[in-house]
Amino acid sequence: MHAALTRPWRDPAFRILALALAIAALSLASVVLLRAELEQRFDVRTAEVLGGDLVLAGSYPAADTQRDLLSDLRQSEIADFPTVLVHEDELLLVSARAASDGYPLYGELGVADARFEASRGIDHGPRPGELWVADQVLDRLGIEPGVTLTVGRQALTVTRIIRQEPDQGAGFYSMNPRILFHSDDLPATGILGPGTRVSYRLLLAGAAADVSRAEQALPDTLREDQRLDTVADAATRSMGPMRQLTLWVSLGVLLVSLLCGAAIYLATTQRVRRRARMAALLRSFGARRRQVLTRLLGEEAWAVIPAALTGTLLGIALLLGLRRALGWDGPLAAGVADWLTLLLGPMVLWLAFALPRLSALVRTPAMQVLNDRLAPRQLAGVIELAAALGAPVLLAALLTGSLAELAQLLTLLVVLGALLPALLWPLLKVLDVTSRRLPLAARLAVRRLSRRPGLTLPLLASLTVALAVLGMAGQTGNQLLSDWRQKLPEDAPNHFVFNLFDDDLPVFADWLSEHGARPQPAYPVVRGRLSEINGVPVREAVTKEDDQTERTLNRDLILTEANTLPPSNRVIAGSWQPDATGEVSVEKELAERLGLALDDEVLFTTSQGTVSARITSIREVDWESFEPNFFFMFAQDGLAGQDITWLTSFWLPEGDGARLASLLREMPHITLLDVNALLDQAQDIIRQASRATGLMALLLMAAALLVLGAALLGAQAQRGRDNALLRTLGGSRELIRRVTTLECLVLGGGAALGATLIMLAALYPLGQRLFEGALPWSLWLLLPTVLGLLVAATGMALGRGALRQPPLALLRQEAG
Amino acid sequence: MTLLEHIALQVQPGESVAITGPSGSGKSTLLGILAGLDVPSEGEVMLDGAAFSALDEDQRALRRGELCAFVFQSFHLVSDLNVLENVMLPLEIKGVSKPADIARQWLERVGLGHRLKHFPTTLSGGEQQRVALARAFAVAPRLLFADEPTGSLDHANGQRVIELLFDMNREAGTALVLVTHDDQLAARCQRHLRLEEGRLLTPEPA
Repeated sequence: MHAALTRPWRDPAFRILALALAIAALSLASVVLLRAELEQRFDVRTAEVLGGDLVLAGSYPAADTQRDLLSDLRQSEIADFPTVLVHEDELLLVSARAASDGYPLYGELGVADARFEASRGIDHGPRPGELWVADQVLDRLGIEPGVTLTVGRQALTVTRIIRQEPDQGAGFYSMNPRILFHSDDLPATGILGPGTRVSYRLLLAGAAADVSRAEQALPDTLREDQRLDTVADAATRSMGPMRQLTLWVSLGVLLVSLLCGAAIYLATTQRVRRRARMAALLRSFGARRRQVLTRLLGEEAWAVIPAALTGTLLGIALLLGLRRALGWDGPLAAGVADWLTLLLGPMVLWLAFALPRLSALVRTPAMQVLNDRLAPRQLAGVIELAAALGAPVLLAALLTGSLAELAQLLTLLVVLGALLPALLWPLLKVLDVTSRRLPLAARLAVRRLSRRPGLTLPLLASLTVALAVLGMAGQTGNQLLSDWRQKLPEDAPNHFVFNLFDDDLPVFADWLSEHGARPQPAYPVVRGRLSEINGVPVREAVTKEDDQTERTLNRDLILTEANTLPPSNRVIAGSWQPDATGEVSVEKELAERLGLALDDEVLFTTSQGTVSARITSIREVDWESFEPNFFFMFAQDGLAGQDITWLTSFWLPEGDGARLASLLREMPHITLLDVNALLDQAQDIIRQASRATGLMALLLMAAALLVLGAALLGAQAQRGRDNALLRTLGGSRELIRRVTTLECLVLGGGAALGATLIMLAALYPLGQRLFEGALPWSLWLLLPTVLGLLVAATGMALGRGALRQPPLALLRQEAG
Repeated sequence: MTLLEHIALQVQPGESVAITGPSGSGKSTLLGILAGLDVPSEGEVMLDGAAFSALDEDQRALRRGELCAFVFQSFHLVSDLNVLENVMLPLEIKGVSKPADIARQWLERVGLGHRLKHFPTTLSGGEQQRVALARAFAVAPRLLFADEPTGSLDHANGQRVIELLFDMNREAGTALVLVTHDDQLAARCQRHLRLEEGRLLTPEPA
């Protein structure tokens, strides 16, 4: 058994095959595991943000009959409502939350015992009689923990400062400082009564099966005011960037697998040549097909398993390293299906690309082999083609879990895979014909490529695809990352300020410059409720009755006026006229929800009466931009005469609580929002994404060079013989060197040219759409050329071995 | 290990010399040294009155291209080149003008004028060896080395190739060094030498 495992390693073709399999296994294992980790973390994070695996929300508490259905699940009920705190002569509007035992079901609350103390995590809410308040409550009311405050009619003692809640939504604009107390104290406050604006949320968590049972049972019991939120709904709403990243990486793995598959195929062709004689001899000794298969294929299969396992183990190690680097703990997230994928994936690849070829060992008549009349090109091409096309589809299905997602990319791959050789073939023919007038060395170089289409076309096609993908990945990946970075630079605004009055602006500007904080534009803000559309009351005008629409109509919207649009806004219909009073621009999704169109008249009710305007543009807004964004933007002076406050953002190094406290002491009425935690998370994703793309590009290039290695190795014996013959016929070493160099240059250059053309073709639509027809030129377009030269250099280095073969070997191959 | 010793061999212009000997006797090594593909550890090879084995590798290749040609047992045609291009190859290396015309002429001579565009893999063994003969004679060599030229052919094809080889050799006045197992073939040469244990002997007439 030991000899059977080690024997194949003596063959360089097998070593290439094993390396290709290891690289494929490595990329497959690391990506499958990483995806499982990301998805699990994303689901957990989504459940945290949602508050549970399921949330039953309504204007009244959940009914007892509903609770009976949910007895298998952990439960906690929260009630959110606005209220006013009174302390001595100070009044403060706060956003109150009463939470029952068990809150929070997921994640932790960030709390501190004293002002300016660092936050720590805690897994439970306040006990009855306790009141936890935000820093701003302390600053505004000028109190310290330990003080007793009255909430409604109930006195509660401030015992902790609350800084962060796991289910904190991103509803920046209506956010008043938070207070949190136990729901047992709620009835005694006497705050809740008919007409109070309160929203109840029954948070639910438990085993997947119990959750899914509840998910099915609850919809039939929902009252008018109730809705059910699930993790899946919440995830689809916010998974955009993560999905893009996993899709991109999956495509990368698919390409790496394909290239490794090509290398495996080429290396196996060599193995077949070398082992054909053995197979034929065995058969001439009377061995049956089965015996030959067991001996030769069995040995091959045993020998590739350690290679695949090594790659898989390296992939697992890579992921464990990443988990450690990111401080992720807990058991690995991958499920049985994931483990099966990463263990079986490499073998699927080997079976698809190597087995049909190896089976030629028993299909070719033994006498043909023994008489040196083996015609390897005629071996059942259909099976090989089907297997080679089927394996990537199977892998893609395993990788994405759904073919629909990768359908477009797969189509592209198949088209490229089938079309490229078909396009390259006539080109190669043309090159062959035109090379007649070239000097001898160039002609011989071209003919080595043009007269071996079976080897040249797949090689050229895979190199071209690899270079094109690398170039495009470089261009678009870099574009994507730099867009994100631009959006989220290291000094992206990490604090938002609301409720600044006109008089505050100079004081605030002084404070900013004094503390080296970086200011951003300030927006005048007016709160107003949309009340009429084209003169029709909004309740009648808007027929759509979904939850979000309901919320939009039920709350004050933040209106602003400006003379320029923020960079993260793009007008998609109509036009933005900064000085056209009486005109307003509306955000696209809101417009769709409310059925608003260009030229509609909208009327808002504000504290100063009403304000109306005609919609003259519809904007697309990038909500992930960490910039203040608005549903309605009026042209300059559109809000004249209204009660204006200001909204702005700024950057200040993290952990500078004392400076912020000085700001709040100076302007106690402002609302300050710290978004460092959100920013850190987003920036972390960018860093991981750029690492992932870098690693994927490296693996892709390694796989492409491996294909080249396998192809050159396959042709090495023939090449050596040809070189020796040239020497025998009087050719100088210089001639042979030139032929080899030119051959590699034509190959690398051809792949680079093809890749650049593909890149240009792919970028052309982008240029049409975004740059008014101009192609987005960048240095990345040169990448295929640089890599093509690298391919050529690698080819020359590998080809040097064939150059050294002495011509006498020609004679020695014969009797003598 | 000494492979060859006390070898003194002179081949006159137009002369044909056969070298026979058992397997492993060093026939191919001797041919390689004579052709300048290898150099002797002692002794010297002179070609056309000038030192040959003392030249460096590229100079030997140049000289070989000018004066010598080969016919191998396994034909050794370049598989990427068609029949015509294979015959043109040594002419082009030598820098002869109108190589295609000369090549075509010689291919007509060996009876393959109708297969100029075919590739070696589509030809029979006998046809491939005839292409090799055309390639060898196209450069008008002064000396032709033939290493078991019929070793890979059946009797009928072997006969045809041999007839062609001797006919063309006679017409062109080329000197011939022929390595073979076949005593009958050796007998057709003007001189027959036998290589045994590294030494050249003149065999007793049969």
